Amino acid sequence: MTTRVHIGLPVPPRNHPALLRGRGRFVDDLPFPGARHVAVLRSPVAHGRVTAFDATAARADPRCLLVLGPADVAELTDPIPLAWLLPDQRLDHVELAVDVVRYAGQPIGLVVATDRAAAEDVAELVDVRVEPLPAVASTAAALAPGAPRLHAEAEGNVVGRTHFGTPRDRLDEAFAEAHLVVEREFGIQRVSHSPLEPRGLVAEWEPGPGLLTVHASTQSPHAVRQELAAVLRLRADRVRVVARDVGGSFGGKVALHADEALVCLAAVVLGGQVKWVEDRVENLTAAYQGRGQRTRARLAVAADGRFLALHADVVGDLGAFAVQAGSGPLQVTALTIEGPYRFPAAGGTVTAVCTNLVPVGAYRGYGMQESTFIRERLVDEAARELGVDPVALRLRNMVEPGDMPYTTCTGLVYDSGDYSAALRSAARRVAPPSSAGPVRRGSAVTATVEMSGFAPSALIRQFDIAWAGWEGVRLVVNHDGTVTVHAGVTAVGQGIETSLAQIAADGLGVPLRWVDVRLGDTATAPHSDLASQASRALVLAGGALLRAAARLRARVLGLAARALDVPEADVVLDVPADVEPGSPEAVFRGASGVISWRELAHRAWRGWHRPEGVERIRLEENVDFDPPAITFAHGAHGAAVAVDVDTGVVTVEDYWTVHDNGVLVNPLVAEGQVVGGVAQGIGLALFEEVRHDPDTAEPLSTTFREYPLPAARDVPRVDVRHLCTPSPANPGGFKGLGEGGAIPPAATIACAVAAAVPEIAEVLTATPMTPERVWAALREAGIEGSPQWTER
Amino acid sequence: MKPVAFDHVAPVDLAAALDLLAERGTRAAPLAGGQSLVPLLNLRRVRPDVVVDLNHVVGLAGVRVTAGEVRIGAMTRLRVLESHPDVVAALPVLATAASAVAHPHVRTRATLGGSLCHANPAAELPAAAVALDARLVLRHRGGARVVPAAEFFTGPHTTVLAPGELLTEVVVPRVPELRFGFAELARPGGSGYPLVVALLGVAVEGGVVVAARAAAGGVAPTPVRLPGVEAALPGRRCTADDLSAGLATAPVDHAAGHRDAVLRSLLRRITAGLE
Repeated sequence: MTTRVHIGLPVPPRNHPALLRGRGRFVDDLPFPGARHVAVLRSPVAHGRVTAFDATAARADPRCLLVLGPADVAELTDPIPLAWLLPDQRLDHVELAVDVVRYAGQPIGLVVATDRAAAEDVAELVDVRVEPLPAVASTAAALAPGAPRLHAEAEGNVVGRTHFGTPRDRLDEAFAEAHLVVEREFGIQRVSHSPLEPRGLVAEWEPGPGLLTVHASTQSPHAVRQELAAVLRLRADRVRVVARDVGGSFGGKVALHADEALVCLAAVVLGGQVKWVEDRVENLTAAYQGRGQRTRARLAVAADGRFLALHADVVGDLGAFAVQAGSGPLQVTALTIEGPYRFPAAGGTVTAVCTNLVPVGAYRGYGMQESTFIRERLVDEAARELGVDPVALRLRNMVEPGDMPYTTCTGLVYDSGDYSAALRSAARRVAPPSSAGPVRRGSAVTATVEMSGFAPSALIRQFDIAWAGWEGVRLVVNHDGTVTVHAGVTAVGQGIETSLAQIAADGLGVPLRWVDVRLGDTATAPHSDLASQASRALVLAGGALLRAAARLRARVLGLAARALDVPEADVVLDVPADVEPGSPEAVFRGASGVISWRELAHRAWRGWHRPEGVERIRLEENVDFDPPAITFAHGAHGAAVAVDVDTGVVTVEDYWTVHDNGVLVNPLVAEGQVVGGVAQGIGLALFEEVRHDPDTAEPLSTTFREYPLPAARDVPRVDVRHLCTPSPANPGGFKGLGEGGAIPPAATIACAVAAAVPEIAEVLTATPMTPERVWAALREAGIEGSPQWTER
Repeated sequence: MKPVAFDHVAPVDLAAALDLLAERGTRAAPLAGGQSLVPLLNLRRVRPDVVVDLNHVVGLAGVRVTAGEVRIGAMTRLRVLESHPDVVAALPVLATAASAVAHPHVRTRATLGGSLCHANPAAELPAAAVALDARLVLRHRGGARVVPAAEFFTGPHTTVLAPGELLTEVVVPRVPELRFGFAELARPGGSGYPLVVALLGVAVEGGVVVAARAAAGGVAPTPVRLPGVEAALPGRRCTADDLSAGLATAPVDHAAGHRDAVLRSLLRRITAGLE
C-alpha cells in the first residue's frame, strides 16, 4: 500500500521555471547551427491535377540544395498507413506523392536551401502547374447530387459509415410513441489547435550507420517513429524520434503529417541535418484541424420527463482525405451521445464525408465536446418545451451510483462516480442572473461524462484499431541513489512530468526531488502508440508506475534486509524530507544497524546482497499496464452570460466547474487542465472558426487576425472544484482530465444564452455564437434592441 | 515565413528620407512602428526593395499645443499620445481613441502616422482624425501639401499618398466648445481589432445642443462623418434620454445591418456619458 505524501499536493510544475525564463527547448531552440532549411511547396488551389513540376530555375539558384517533387517522392517513399478505419472504409492511407491535390495547402514537394528565407525565395522559382478541378467546400456540397468526386475509393464522397447503439428501426419505434420529440440540426465548426509552438522538426541522417534521428514537436514520438520507418522504408531500429519541450498539442501532433515525412526524406537524401518549423500561416491552413460536423439529432421524452430515446445522425467533414484519427472523433460522438443519462434506446449514426478542405483529426475532446453540445442543448430544449426546470429534468434521468457499473446503449461501461452530486454542486453555485438595459443575462448548468484512460488492448482490438492501448514505465534506482522514471507518455505542457514524479516518490517512499522523469525519446522511453492523448497519460502511466514502484520498493527492502542481516519485516526506510539521495541520514534501519540508501543502491548495482539463485541485478522495474477497462470521469459546468441585444455580443461573466477525476495527483496541474480547457471551449463557443471560401474552398483564416484566440478579457475567473470517486480500473484510482475542461463549455454557454434570451433558444444549435450570428437570430426573433432606441 | 530580401536604410534627417522615397518611389516602404508593415513583409504581401526606417529621423515625433491647434509628429507613439498631459488636456478624446488601439505592447511601438497611413477602415485613429477635422501634412522632396482627414482615405488600406510622399505631421484643431465621447466594439478574441468605432461630440449652450460632430469607422470603406446624426442632435436637451431620442430619428448614412446596429449602440452609450 502506497502512503500518500506527495500525491494530492499542489506541487508547482517542475518545468515552469525554465519555460518562464526562456530556457525551453522547443524545436526552434535546439542548437543545430549546421541545419539546412526547408520550405514546403503547397497546392495553391483546393482541388486540381498537378500537370507540371519544373525545378530548373530553382536548382540554378546557388542557395538551393535540394528540390523534391511528386516524382521523387513517389520513387522514394510509401504512403502513411492508417490505423483506424470505418467498417467499409477503402481510403486506408495518406498519399505522399501527389498527382491530384485535394486541399489548398496540401504539400506537393519541398525545397531545401541554406536558410529559411532563401528556401522561400527558391520555392517561388519552382514552376508547379495545377489544372484546377471543381472543389467542394462543405459536406452539403460534397453530398449534393452531381458533386465532383474526390476519390475513386469514396463513392458519393462518403468515406465510410457506421452505427452504434440501438438499431435504427427500434429507435424509430421509440420516437413514434413519445410524448415529446425535440429534433434539431447542430453545426460544429472546424477549429485550429493553434498550439503556441507550431509543428516542426530537425531531421538528421547519418549515412554511415544509416540512422535517422528526428527532433520533433510531437505528442506521440513512437507513433511518428513507426510511421516514418514505414514511409521511408527504414528498419524500426534505425529511426529515433525525440520530443523535448512541446509547446502544446491538443491532438494536432498525434501522428506524422505528410510534410513532416517529406522533411525527413530530404534529410535522408541530403545527409546531415534538415530543419523545418511550420509558420503560423501553414499551421492555420495546412496542419490537420479539429471538429467539423453537421448532426441531426432528436430526443424523445415521456410526459413525466423520463428520457425515452436519443439519436444523433452525424455527418462529419473529414476534409481532403482520412488521416490517423480522421473518423475517430465522429465515432466517439456517436458512442458518447448518451452522456450521464439513462436511455432505454439510444444510438449514433456516422457518415464520414470527404471535402476539399484541410483534413481533420484529433482535437481535445475528441467527439465528446460535440456529443455534449448536441445532447445538452436537446435536453435544455426539452425542458423549455415541457416547461420544467432543466436541472430537475437532468436529475430525473441521471445514472445513479447504485447503477454502476452501467452499460450504455452504445456499449460503454461507466465504472464509478456520482453524476447527480456533481450537477447539484454546480447548480448550487451558479448565481441567479440579473438583466439590465440592453443586456440580458442568463445562466445554465450541464453535465457530461469523459472517456479516459483509453484503452484495454482487447477493446482496441475489438474496434479493429491498429494501436497499442497499454502503457509502460521503467523505474530505475541509479547507483548513486537517484531515481529515474522513463515512460512512454509525453510532456506537452500539461504537467505530467511533475505528477509522475509525485507518484514515484510516494511509491518508493523517497523525497520528490530524488526523482527525475525522462519522456519523449524513443531510444529510452518504453513503447507507446497513443502516449499523451485521450486523457490517458496519468491514468495508465501512473498505474504502471505505482506497480513498478511497489515492486522496486519490495526488492530494495529485501536487499537491505540481507545487507543488514535481519528479517525483511524488521527493515525500516528512514528518509528525512529534505535530504539528498546521497545523504548518510537516508537509511534503512534494522536491529543490527543501518545502511544508507545510496550505499545500498551502489551495492545492488554490483550484484551484492541478492538472494541465492536470483539472476536479476539491475535496480529497475519494467511494468506494462494494460487497463482492465476504460475509466469514465464526469463533471458538471455552469456558466453565467450577458447578451447585449443591441450588438449580439455574448460575454461569459462567470464560470463554474465540478469534476470527478478520481484521485487527484496534483491539484495545481488539474486546475491548469480545467481552466485551459474552459478557455479553449469559450473560444470554440464564441468566435474560433476556420473559414474557407464557399466556392473555391480556399482558406480565409490564414492569420490570428482572422482566427482570434481567447484573450484574458474573454475568460472569466473559473471556479474549479473536484469530487473524488476513485476509479476501480487502475491501481491509483485515477481518472483522466486532459479534455474534461474543454468538453462542456460550448454546451453550457449556449444553454446560458438560451436562458438569457429564450426567444432565440431554438436556433442556438451551432457554434461559434459570434456577435453577427447572435444579432441576426435576435432580429429574426423580433428583438429590436434597446427600447430607448426605438420607442421615441 | 520570412520576408523577401530588402535594403534597410535608416536616415537621421527628413530630407534624406524624402530623397530616398523620391528616388525609389513605389519600391520603397517607409517603416514607422512596424506593427502592420512587418507582418506584411513576413507574409511577403509587401516586397519593397528598400525599407526606409523613420525611427531615427530627428523631429518627426512629439506634441506641440498652441492656442488653436495640437500639432502631432507622425512618429509619435500611441503610448505617448494616450498619456501626454497636453493631449489629455486639449483633446481628451484623441488620447482615449489612442488608448483603445490593440494592446499596450503594440501601442509602445505603433505610431499615429503609421495608423493613419495603414488606413484600416475600422481603426480608431483614422475615425478620430475624421471626427476632429484633422489636417495631414504630406511632404515630398521639395514640397508639401496639407490634406483634410476626410479626403485622405480613399478605401480600405488606401490613401491619397503619392509615391515619394510621407505623412510627417497631423494638425488637429482645438474645439473646446465640443465635448466628445468615444466608444468601440472590438472583435471578441485576442486579435483586438475593432469591428466598429464611434466618436460623437456636442456643443451645448444652456443645456441645449447647438452643434454636433459624429464619425465612425467600420461601417464603410473609409472612416466617415455621420451627417444624419450631426443634423439630428442640435436643438435637443443634453440628457441621455433626449440625445438617444435624437439619435433614433437620425437617418442611416451607410449600409444597414449588424454594423449599423452596433454603431447606434455605441453612439447611444456615448450619449450616456455626455449628459
